[in-house]
Amino acid sequence: MVTDKSATQVAESVEAPRETPVGWQPNIIAFACHYCAFAAADLAGVMRLSYPTSVKVVRLPCTGKLDHVYLLRAFERGVDGVFAAG
Amino acid sequence: MIVGEQKPFDEIWEMVKGHRQLTVFGCNTCVAVCHQGGNKEAEILASLLRMRAVQEEVTIEVVHGGIERQCEHPFFESAQEQLVASEAVLSLACGIGVQFVAGKYPSTPVYPALNTTFLGDVPADGLFTEKCQACGDCVLGVTGGVCPVSRCCKRLFNGPCGGSANGKCEISKEIDCAWQLVVDRLEALGKLDDYEKIAPIKDWSKDRAGGPRSFKLEGF
Repeated sequence: MVTDKSATQVAESVEAPRETPVGWQPNIIAFACHYCAFAAADLAGVMRLSYPTSVKVVRLPCTGKLDHVYLLRAFERGVDGVFAAG
Repeated sequence: MIVGEQKPFDEIWEMVKGHRQLTVFGCNTCVAVCHQGGNKEAEILASLLRMRAVQEEVTIEVVHGGIERQCEHPFFESAQEQLVASEAVLSLACGIGVQFVAGKYPSTPVYPALNTTFLGDVPADGLFTEKCQACGDCVLGVTGGVCPVSRCCKRLFNGPCGGSANGKCEISKEIDCAWQLVVDRLEALGKLDDYEKIAPIKDWSKDRAGGPRSFKLEGF
């Protein structure tokens, strides 16, 4: 049998997934552009659509304003995922 | 300008992980142009180090800072207080800046976050290519503006060699033959006669062979 050594090494280096506690919800921060995605979120509100409270929306004047450091700071402060929309 | 490349993150972590406090210090001129060592990159690197410290359960206070140039005294004024209070400094400057910081703060450990790679230009966005080796005795005037020291893999002064084929170097098909470029340029200038002149042996004492170089302006 031929084994792909490099693929095996990659697989070994991946962090083992932890067990997810019951009822756990990821903390998500959403960076949204004022002119499109934030307006869409606003519209969703008007339409009485709902989303989990663990999602926090941060309005940016434009997603072009999004900087590497914003994402890193978010992860440093413990968010589980970052959502950029624009 | 001076081009550098950030060291692998694991190598940086190994250098600094033993400290309790660290200032990640950017240099916002040459190495900021290549997006490797500017003040912004210092902030990013500091953030990555803090996250690594949390993952490895190591207590280390990582702060970031930066100045316009780490190779001249006057620029340090704004960061003096921060650097004096630092247990260690991770400098994102080129080798010149790292040595300058080390010389300026003799009792503070200073670590390099970059590998200083070459003196180069920016022919296209995101591309940096070597163009000078600071040999101390410029010959561009007779080679049509193409440097045989930095661009010919063999540093030939009477090229090309037999490894030149279709304008490319035998080292790699990605590398232009510098002497092909010299000939093309001299032809365009109508100076092909210059190509026939044999270049004398170069005085390498003006290069590194003469030891570290310096020069001093009169009146200072």
